[in-house]
Amino acid sequence: MSSRFFHGGDSDSESSSSEEEELYGVEGKAEDSEEEESSEEESDSEEESSSDDEGGPVGASRFMKDVASSDESDDEDKHTIVKSAKDKRLEELEGTVRLIENKEKINDWAVISTEFDKMNRQVIKIVQSGTIPKLYVKTISDLEDTINETIAKQKTTALKMNASNTKGFNAMKQKIKKNNKDYATEVEKYRADKEAYMESDEEEEAVPVEKVRRNRVQRIDELDAQIDEEGFATVGRGGRTLQYTPESILKHLRTIIESRGKKNTDRGEQIRIMEKLLEVATTPYQKIRVLLTLISTRFDLTSTSTQTYMSQEQWRSAEREFSSLLQILEASSTYVVTENADEWDDDDKAPQPAPNEVFKIPGSIVSSIERLDDELTRSLQQTDPHTAEYIDRLGDEQLLYNDIVRSLIYIENLKKMENVETPPESANRIVMRRLEHIYFKPTQVVTTLEENTWKALPERLQSEITPRGFVKDAAPLVQTLCNFLFQHSEGIIRARAMLCQIYFLALQDDYWRARDLALMSHLTENISTFDISTQILFNRTLVQIGLCAFRAGLCYEAQGVLQEICGSGRQKELLAQGVGMQRYSQVTPEQERLERQRQLPFHMHINLELLECVYLTCSMLLEIPLLAQTGSSPDIRKRIISKTFRRMLEYTERQVFQGPPENTRDHVMQASKALANGEWRKCSELISKIAIWDLLGKDRENVKAMLAAQIQEEGLRTYLFTYAPYYDTLSLTTLSGMFDLSVKKIAAIISKMISHEELGAALDQVNDAIVFRKGVELSRLQSQIVTLSEKAMGILESNEKVLETRTAGMANAYVRNEQRGDRGGGWGGWQRRDERRIGGQAGAARRPGGQQFGGGALGGAIKA
Amino acid sequence: MALSNGTGAQSDPPGEYEFLDKIIRHMDRHLIFPLLEHETNREDISDERLKDLTIAKYRLLYNTNMTDYVADLWKEVNDSDEVPTEFSKKREEVLERLRIFEEESSKITDLLADDAVVSQLRSDKVANLKFLEENHGVTIEMVNILYDFGKFRYACGDYERASDLLYQFRVLSTDNEKVSRATWGKLVCEILNTNWEAAMEEIQKLKDSIETRLFNNPRAQLTARESLVHYALFPFFNYEPARETLTELYFSPPYISSIQTVCPWILRYLAAAVITNRSRNKNLGSSSGAYQKQLKDLVRVVKQEVYEYNDPVTEFVKALYVDFDFEEAQRKLGEAEEVLRNDFFLGSSTDVFVESARHLISESYCKIHQRIDIKDLSKRLGLSEEDGEKWIVNLIRDTRVDAKLDYKAGTVVMNHPPQSVYQQRFIVLFHGVNSERFRPIARERRLDLGEYWLKRKARSEKRNF
Repeated sequence: MSSRFFHGGDSDSESSSSEEEELYGVEGKAEDSEEEESSEEESDSEEESSSDDEGGPVGASRFMKDVASSDESDDEDKHTIVKSAKDKRLEELEGTVRLIENKEKINDWAVISTEFDKMNRQVIKIVQSGTIPKLYVKTISDLEDTINETIAKQKTTALKMNASNTKGFNAMKQKIKKNNKDYATEVEKYRADKEAYMESDEEEEAVPVEKVRRNRVQRIDELDAQIDEEGFATVGRGGRTLQYTPESILKHLRTIIESRGKKNTDRGEQIRIMEKLLEVATTPYQKIRVLLTLISTRFDLTSTSTQTYMSQEQWRSAEREFSSLLQILEASSTYVVTENADEWDDDDKAPQPAPNEVFKIPGSIVSSIERLDDELTRSLQQTDPHTAEYIDRLGDEQLLYNDIVRSLIYIENLKKMENVETPPESANRIVMRRLEHIYFKPTQVVTTLEENTWKALPERLQSEITPRGFVKDAAPLVQTLCNFLFQHSEGIIRARAMLCQIYFLALQDDYWRARDLALMSHLTENISTFDISTQILFNRTLVQIGLCAFRAGLCYEAQGVLQEICGSGRQKELLAQGVGMQRYSQVTPEQERLERQRQLPFHMHINLELLECVYLTCSMLLEIPLLAQTGSSPDIRKRIISKTFRRMLEYTERQVFQGPPENTRDHVMQASKALANGEWRKCSELISKIAIWDLLGKDRENVKAMLAAQIQEEGLRTYLFTYAPYYDTLSLTTLSGMFDLSVKKIAAIISKMISHEELGAALDQVNDAIVFRKGVELSRLQSQIVTLSEKAMGILESNEKVLETRTAGMANAYVRNEQRGDRGGGWGGWQRRDERRIGGQAGAARRPGGQQFGGGALGGAIKA
Repeated sequence: MALSNGTGAQSDPPGEYEFLDKIIRHMDRHLIFPLLEHETNREDISDERLKDLTIAKYRLLYNTNMTDYVADLWKEVNDSDEVPTEFSKKREEVLERLRIFEEESSKITDLLADDAVVSQLRSDKVANLKFLEENHGVTIEMVNILYDFGKFRYACGDYERASDLLYQFRVLSTDNEKVSRATWGKLVCEILNTNWEAAMEEIQKLKDSIETRLFNNPRAQLTARESLVHYALFPFFNYEPARETLTELYFSPPYISSIQTVCPWILRYLAAAVITNRSRNKNLGSSSGAYQKQLKDLVRVVKQEVYEYNDPVTEFVKALYVDFDFEEAQRKLGEAEEVLRNDFFLGSSTDVFVESARHLISESYCKIHQRIDIKDLSKRLGLSEEDGEKWIVNLIRDTRVDAKLDYKAGTVVMNHPPQSVYQQRFIVLFHGVNSERFRPIARERRLDLGEYWLKRKARSEKRNF
């Protein structure tokens, strides 16, 4: 309690509370030094402090100083600002005065002269804002006396002064005369009765000092028990802690809010202050205000850069505070927190709303919950997913989900209130967050999550969108949330809701609905206009639809959907599941940082190996028969379904030595080779040996059976394509034995091939055999002619395309099939003439062909 | 709506009640009546079902002005001769209102009946209205009375006069909303008058108005198309000349996608129409290409919808053209025949359908096979051996298939001449130029998912994030 001691003896006690502390720090330092020295030092440090230097004592008081100095620039709170600024100037003045007095004693007139100028400048400022300080009057009159004395002395003793001293003295002499004229009356008053003049001053300021002192005594006694820190720090803290009264809470909050975003603010300290404030807060209003500020300060604690994230401890506290904020808000119907409320400016008294009135406090529940969510995601991004820590943090999701549901309920209730306008998108945003926490999870997990949440929430809370006990299953929950968003939102949130629903449906093996929704949403057309995270969601959804199609046994569809993502070779990047290596493009650190920010936490990942495996298997089932088909008849355009697959296959074929398959890719590639050779059993075996299928869980056996069946069929097709030229007839029974399929099934497959004109053959029903037609294959010359004619067609086409671009928009002139009937109507003549000219011979040859397409009379003529 | 209680109470063996329910939900109240009436006239109807249907009819018409008939139905339902006063009261009311309407509208109807006035009317509605207003004191209110009166007449079941009134209203009114409603009303009136030509005109008008007036409201377009597709079923199967037009309408991209989206059960009618169209097309001797195209479209659509909608007719198409399972096709044909016989719209064309379906089966069978056992084929076509042989002979004669019967072995031998490479080339060439390159750029709703890729391929380059 040494501070009290010092305080008692010091005349600076009149300064405001924030100043006091500063002084304590300074005085504490100067404790042992002599009077004079201490005063000198004091003035020094005060000068320093006025220029906001680092020389201040400890962190806490430095922070307070900042507040004081920053106040100057703020107009809002005139009361405190003026006071503290004035005090500060007075202090400065005191320092200068002291210096002058000291120098007087040693007759250092040079210094006195400069200090006098400084003092005058300071005084002008003070005079502007009030009366002439008495101290100043005292100083100048004393100074005049001294000068007069010195002149008298000089005359009598003829004491010599050095050059600079003389110069200073002479300057002073003139200055003081001139100066004192302005303050003549004051000086007179002072001279008349020195003691009385200074006394009146003292009395005025003594009262508040007394008060503060008494207060402090009480407080400190109370707090003595609580604070067990020792020594110097205790002094500081003790001194400050006693300001935490319910009345002063708002003031503290104001200073904290004002320091927000400034450099050198110690947020940790602010948080500690607010935690204390929260303890003393009594009314809901105070609590709400403190909590709002506290939560946002906690978020400020971590900068928004990628590398840092909120510690679990901090996050949990923020979460706790957020939920207690909600609790308070739920309990008191008088106060609501909305984004568009006005600030309450009066710090001295809390608003007193009438019982039925609703008082709005500015703040945003939605932003807070969103931030809370983001912070958790960020910390999950940064944590190694294979550690216990990750699991631990993942456990926090339940808390977060509780809060999301709870704030959703709060927002719903707000909406019901009259005369409270809530922006319509706030509910949408929360529902979206909620949806994003469940859409990718298996149903059981969602059900547990929901159950726990409703258990955690107080009984009386009820949600309108999803009433308590309404959700037994995840599917209706997702459906309800999505429907809500479809109805109420638009733009990006709507698109995201759509994607989430599609994703969920695909996850639930509801391929048809997922596909229909995907197609009807028309998102494919404008997805590139959305932000990147939505595009990522789109890619994820696409992949999920593909996987779903695969599980449903629809390999063709699965391949088509997965093509874009998997064919690009940038799966990682497109799904935000890792930063992809880019060979040709250079990534700036900025881009890389953004990309890291977008990464999904591990528990949301889609297994990439499984994805690749599915993609390659589907590609195999489509590509191998196609390769066989194009191999036997060169006239079919070289169609490529999957470039990636082809490339891999070529690579495997080039290898001289083929080891046993090791990874998924090897398995598929060797299976492909086996399939191409007609060894479907080996192919099937290789495929089913792939370990990654285990991830499919209960579907595993079904998928394997499905794949085996598909391999049988495709094997048959491949076999027929490859070996058709070497057979005249082929017995269905033999094929049935070879491919382990029923005769009926084989007949159906072959019928399909014949009907689609993939195979030049016919069935002989009597002998149960396929009869291959001969002469279908082309000779070398013929196939070259075919190529030539194709190229000619190409030239013709590109020619017409050029024309089309020239006649932009008039391309309809070329819908000849329809126009042939009514040549009279429509388009301008010159185009048609042009067309004939360009078409030339081809046009002449085409016309009869076009008319008699079905009949093939021309063909007959050629044959004949 | 009306039948829902009927379906619940009884077993529904072939799923036909449910099917009827679906159709009814999209029909106009007055259009449902013939459907129910048809159900009632089925030979094998059970008492219970009959009762259900009567109740359904009663409820259906309860809100209309056909009080006498409703009272009769009430008697039938409640099995009593006394009619509650409610009905007679309502009857009085209806008559009273009828009188008022007649009075109110007499002026304008008289005017419009006057040739001297009518001859002065021009095509410009606004000018007409102004002319009538200036010279004869006709107000907008009077025109609107025509509409209300037409509606009233319609509710009374007096379709012919209702149709006239709505026509007159349409000539004069400038209120687009009401005009379009009047057009719908008139369509139903014409249908119920079995005045098919006029009905077709109305359908055309409605089609245009859906395209133009609702173009920025896809949702309303969808519902309007849905209704139109349902209403149009009446002329579709009752009026020969409409068949071709309506098939085209149903296959046009906006309509086929509406059908796929909201009412896939229409596919039954579409499939039946396409299949039966075959024989007619052959008689006309033209457009077999168009027929092939329709068939191809049909197969595509049926294949796409197979997960969502199945009935014997679509299953037949699927068995024949998707699975190439001829036995299954034959079985489904049998089922389809039964379903069709009992169908309100398709009942009359059942035989044509079966005939055409057999043709399709044999056509595709012959295309695939080189040698066919007559016995087997007859079985597949659901005919006796002798009939089968006759059938094949006819088929060979009609379609000019290059085939011969081997009597001794009991087989047909098809001669599929190998297509010469030159012929192939030319066909590809013509084909390529004429149909593929210049295919109208009609985008269906249901692109294959594979097209996702195609459509976005170009864009994906832009998206390097």
